Amino acid sequence: MSYGQQKYGVGAIAVREIKRLLSHRLYLFCLLLAPSISVVFFISLMRDGLPTNLPVALVDLDNTATSRTLVRQLDAFTQTQITQKMNSFTEARIAMQKGEVYGIYYIPEGFGTDAVSGKQPKLSFYTNGTYLIAASLLFRDMKTISVLAGASVGLQTGIAQGKSTDQIMGQLQPIVIDTHALGNPWLNYSVYLNNTILPGILQLLIFLVTVYCIGVEIKLGTAEEWLKMGHGCLFKSLLGKLLPYTVIFTIIGFMICAVLYGFNSFPLQSGWFPMLTAIFFLVIASQAVGIFMIGTLPTLRLGLSFASLFGMISFSIVGFSFPVLGMHSTLQALAELFPLRHYFLIYIDQALNGRDLYYSIGEYLWLLSFLILPFLIGKNLKKALLYMKYIP
Amino acid sequence: MANETNLREIVKEGIADVFYIWREELKNVFRDTGVVIFFFLVPFAYPLVYAFIYNNEVVHEAKMVVVDNSDSFLSREFTRRVNATPDVEVVRVCKNMDEAKRMLDEKKAYGILSFPSEFSKDINAGRQTTISLYSDMSSLLFYKAFLLSATEVSFSLSKEYVSELHPASSRQTELVKIDPVPYESVALFNSQMGFASFLVPAILILVIQQTLILGIGMLGGTARERNQRHTLVPISDIHFRGTLRIVLGKSLSYLVLYVVVCIWVIAIVPRLFSFPQIGNPGVIALFLLPFLAASIFFAMTLSGFMTSRESPMLVFVFTSVILLFISGVSWPKEAIPEFWRILGYLFPSTPGVQGFIRINTSGASLNEVSHEYRLLWIQAGFYFISACLIYRYQIIRSLKNND
Repeated sequence: MSYGQQKYGVGAIAVREIKRLLSHRLYLFCLLLAPSISVVFFISLMRDGLPTNLPVALVDLDNTATSRTLVRQLDAFTQTQITQKMNSFTEARIAMQKGEVYGIYYIPEGFGTDAVSGKQPKLSFYTNGTYLIAASLLFRDMKTISVLAGASVGLQTGIAQGKSTDQIMGQLQPIVIDTHALGNPWLNYSVYLNNTILPGILQLLIFLVTVYCIGVEIKLGTAEEWLKMGHGCLFKSLLGKLLPYTVIFTIIGFMICAVLYGFNSFPLQSGWFPMLTAIFFLVIASQAVGIFMIGTLPTLRLGLSFASLFGMISFSIVGFSFPVLGMHSTLQALAELFPLRHYFLIYIDQALNGRDLYYSIGEYLWLLSFLILPFLIGKNLKKALLYMKYIP
Repeated sequence: MANETNLREIVKEGIADVFYIWREELKNVFRDTGVVIFFFLVPFAYPLVYAFIYNNEVVHEAKMVVVDNSDSFLSREFTRRVNATPDVEVVRVCKNMDEAKRMLDEKKAYGILSFPSEFSKDINAGRQTTISLYSDMSSLLFYKAFLLSATEVSFSLSKEYVSELHPASSRQTELVKIDPVPYESVALFNSQMGFASFLVPAILILVIQQTLILGIGMLGGTARERNQRHTLVPISDIHFRGTLRIVLGKSLSYLVLYVVVCIWVIAIVPRLFSFPQIGNPGVIALFLLPFLAASIFFAMTLSGFMTSRESPMLVFVFTSVILLFISGVSWPKEAIPEFWRILGYLFPSTPGVQGFIRINTSGASLNEVSHEYRLLWIQAGFYFISACLIYRYQIIRSLKNND
């Protein structure tokens, strides 16, 4: 296989690599299609920020004006929609097992009269913990409406006793908690998840492409020719080979930032520079980890398996859904080995909270320190490139 | 008569060929370390890793700081009780907001609870008072832990102090004043609202489908690389000359292997980590049958498009993240845009995850998951036909090339 006239140096290798990636559908898939599909999917999936109109079953055994008012108020919440009315809890539970509803709101018989006569009727609501997000959101709405129901009854009886609204509220709910969700006051799930999922997919694709483009040289028996173009120097050869991908993945990374902070106007307290730097560092750190992977397991399929598994575990161990502090201490230490973890911490400090750059310097340095990895494995990789035979 | 013997001969030969191909394919699987990784190592190790990551289920002792401008008995009592809840730990009482914010910046705490200076005065005067809660949003679970604990404490403290301030004749009337309509909330099926119990069952199903796609895709890609003229079928082998026998023989070998895999993934792992599993084992087995069939034929169809043995990993690994969300376990299916919801029906994992978590975690019977169950059988039939077409096309191609 020859690519034009034999030339030497980093530039020539880069040109050779660009020709390779343009002629192979697999590269185009990983570099263009996969990132585009992911961005379009996740941004459109969570375009409303919060899921709306989650179905709830109502069991209203009271069926008086009081209970009907309560039901109307519950239905008016944006997250909640009463889709079914049942006569028993069992029917409602079956609807829940069918996946038709995520919550059940239960109003006991005689609710209206008991409430005003001080008999303390109990409202009950049930959520399906199998669906955590839906259950949490419905819990919030159904709890609010239950508290309001108590307040309205309390107001009625209080006013009847001739008390002022202030007095009554001081008794009904002496302590109010005013919550401030810092940086994401809307509790927007798209902000919460996509700021880490999309860079996570980028990291996964970088691992795979880096391992593939190096490993395939062994498979096709072109590794020697490639190294020769770099005057036998692995550093130069790798630099020339990976430079085109650094450029492409950095552009993709910047476009992800543009979609998140520009198009969607997600919180970007720090301004653009810290985040663009972070994503560029994420790209080169992931490439370095990719080299390390194929260096340790210089068989294409094993290297790729390593990349796949490591890349997929990142999504969980980074701690954007379940926090790292809640994990076993071994895992807390292991989390440091994932570039995405450090990117995530930078994002929290910079874009979400707008903290001083001082607090993130450690994480930027962590990302840069991944660049040491290729040097640790260089010898092994070069040996594999020169002497290993591809066994299918 | 001649026709009848002929037919019987064909059937007999066909069955023999199915078992021949079955055996050959099993050998292929075990000869290939790449396939062994995806068929055995990943299904073995991945569920353990995920269970380990999410094992704590909920966040305990989320770190919080307090800014106490009131510095009264009531505010200190409030702080003490928040600290006593299992979910929150008060790490410091700060002098002012600046100090508290610095604690957040340094990640020494993730939430701030601030009492106003008139906190105690207000309560004693019977006025409503407002405390402020600030939460770092790096994780929603911190926010939830802070909010639920503070709400719980405010409720219990209110109850005690208001009744102390307004002594009524009987205990019953006391309660009525504060709490005219009590309420109770129950989280069914995952009562502690644990993260592992919610996410891991869905991941288990996804692992089964994705490893089948990767493993079978790899086998297909290898065959394409190795066989003459890069076709899926080794045409030199006389036993490989019928579509049906190839598809049946191969799928049978995957099915046998994955029955073993499923026993580990679905039956043993949940028990090891004591995840909620109230589903009837027989129902689970019945439900998994069409899921496995659909996944296997789906994977065989896709393997027809793999031209090299590495391509499945480059193409399919990233889809796992998308498929998890499209299945509707975390993002409710009602909130998934129409286009993606319809696209989701193409993948066995969508009805597979939905049906499985409802049987496994919510205790549904086949009746309650009939929609998903039917969908899986339709998918199994559809992908069986498409797998046959793919192999038919490959046989014709290789025969043509041979001439």
